[in-house]
Amino acid sequence: AAMKCVIGGAQLRVFGKAIHAIARISDEFWFDPVEKGLALRSVNSSRSAYACVFFSSMFFQHYCWTAVSQPCQKEKQLSLPCKLIIKSVLPVFRCVNVLERNVEKCSISTNPSEHHITFQLLCRHGVVKTYNLTFQECDPLQAVFAKHMCPNILKVHSRLLADVMIHFPTSQEEITLSVTPMKVCFKSYTEEDTDFSRTMLTEIQLSPEEFDYFQVGVDSEVTFCLKELRGLLAFSEATSVPVSVHFDRCGKPIAFSIEDLLLEASFILATLCEAEKEAASPGPACCPRPWDSNTDTATSKKPQQKGNTPSINSAKPPSALSKQEVKNIPRGTERDVPGRAGAAMAKAAAGEATEAPYEKNSYLYKYCIFQFHSLFFGAISYKEKEAIGDTFQSLVTASDPEEEFGALQSSQV
Amino acid sequence: MRFRAKIVDLACLNHFSRIVNTIAKLAKTCILRLTVCKLYFILSDKVANGGASMWCELSQGNFFDEFQMEGVAAEHNEIYLELVPENLSRALKTAQNAKAVKIKLTNKHCPCLSVAVELPSLSSSSRIVTHDIPVGVIPRRMWNDFREPSVPDFDVSIYLPALKTMKSVVERMKNLSNFIVIEANLSGEMNLKIETDLVSVTTHFKDLGNPPWASEDGCQSSAQGRDLESMAEACIDIKKLQQLLAGQQVNPTKALCNIVRKRVVHFILLHEEVSLQYFIPAVA
Repeated sequence: AAMKCVIGGAQLRVFGKAIHAIARISDEFWFDPVEKGLALRSVNSSRSAYACVFFSSMFFQHYCWTAVSQPCQKEKQLSLPCKLIIKSVLPVFRCVNVLERNVEKCSISTNPSEHHITFQLLCRHGVVKTYNLTFQECDPLQAVFAKHMCPNILKVHSRLLADVMIHFPTSQEEITLSVTPMKVCFKSYTEEDTDFSRTMLTEIQLSPEEFDYFQVGVDSEVTFCLKELRGLLAFSEATSVPVSVHFDRCGKPIAFSIEDLLLEASFILATLCEAEKEAASPGPACCPRPWDSNTDTATSKKPQQKGNTPSINSAKPPSALSKQEVKNIPRGTERDVPGRAGAAMAKAAAGEATEAPYEKNSYLYKYCIFQFHSLFFGAISYKEKEAIGDTFQSLVTASDPEEEFGALQSSQV
Repeated sequence: MRFRAKIVDLACLNHFSRIVNTIAKLAKTCILRLTVCKLYFILSDKVANGGASMWCELSQGNFFDEFQMEGVAAEHNEIYLELVPENLSRALKTAQNAKAVKIKLTNKHCPCLSVAVELPSLSSSSRIVTHDIPVGVIPRRMWNDFREPSVPDFDVSIYLPALKTMKSVVERMKNLSNFIVIEANLSGEMNLKIETDLVSVTTHFKDLGNPPWASEDGCQSSAQGRDLESMAEACIDIKKLQQLLAGQQVNPTKALCNIVRKRVVHFILLHEEVSLQYFIPAVA
């Protein structure tokens, strides 16, 4: 598929802030244009933070997406989003405030045959800055999180959250949110072996009245990574859309999201599980550990599917896919898969390998459901693919003729 | 041992915050001494500080609306706490528009100064931000380490030039050299000098005035028998001087320094409600 869009002056700031927010999550992000708009997604290396920002086509001054179909295929082909390195894109949107003043518009277009995405800034005085960024093809990334099933929901203007976070030092890694129906409290995270004689602890208490919407179904205390959240807060201030916080007991993920007519953004962060904190294995001290998305995927998905699992981004029904995923994950077969899918699985396998030391403690860490849709499965169950065809949109065409897939390959593209 | 204090007036709060900010720039760790009437921020001249020492004194009545303390014992009604002033500075930083700030000595996981800031909020109940700053209680037997330093037997005492000017001069010199020579005479002249292999720079100040010091023998204050033009100089670490000047957020009522030739430079900065003394030893 090909995509071309134009972002007008006023919205540039919002777009730039979105890029900066996503940059806090990871070094690379998924750039996924679909018919209805453009989705940017990112997940961090330990898979404890996921961000998705979806700009509907109305956000853009001009948005044009065309699916390119291949002669051998009657339906829309499977499409792949692509991955970009954040570091390459950030310079384009470096000083968002300056951007607004100097740039009239920004056009983004994809060039499938040359593996480019072109960002072009049309600035004042006739200056045009063109950035051609190469991308990496990759498997789609999508997370499913049943927000509506969270017992605790808070809705508040981003200003309030920013005012709260300002009391914590910028170096504060983790923060604990504690709620009861009577009060809300944000405090520095401490654990058993915190050296209290050296650590300054901060705590802020708010009354439920300060929130636009306040629902606490279950008293809970969740700890998550503050650093990753700050990006969303800065972004939501640019949009001045209120922030919704959905969460449950500790261990279950917490979602911070904003939504209006033009865009939707969600940041889903893993939370630490309190009960077995002492048993926590050493590792990156910073943020909650990787989710054991492979082993627990099957079990956790089922209850969620009973409810109508909404996806957190605008991609099409994941529930159909997830059912398929549950059926079709035979580990043995996965490892045989060469090429791109193989790479994806190898990544997952590598993920498993690194997670193995945590395996013992994996019961500690709850998870959000990540579905790494494999190209392979889409091809295998061709008939079902039509139902899910909408989810896969291709940005590139016929890029890997030498892949071992052979016949399978061409049908996917 | 107990301590509780409360500030309600915003101007007092801002003033107190500024003082704490200045202290935070000068010392990573320092002693907070509490007595019934005064607070002191003390840095003693340990090798770790590069030999610099500090004595800052303020009357609690000028800042706090409520101030109650009970020292370690009746006859030693004082409390000595070791803390990181940067923490206190940070706790007060976001209290710019607070309704009230309460400071209390507590013992949660360890002895702490708990700073509770009551902030206005959109709802009927206020927002409360609490910062627990860990402190170390200094035992009575070590109190002697933190006595007020006496004014040295100086060679020259002179008022400082406008601190803002002095600060910008010193900041530029800092890029060129690690050490700076301060010299002054009893005719109100002061020079700041740096010298490296490549360059030497001197900034001259004049008409600064010399403070009159009352003394028992009258020697220091009388001009007779003393060479008014002769300069007393000391070479000191430029960073320490820069930190002192950078930490000044408000112009003091009086700013002067006493130079003991080749030994130490003693800075005195006086504001209406607080006095700060800073000693920078001369480098050999």
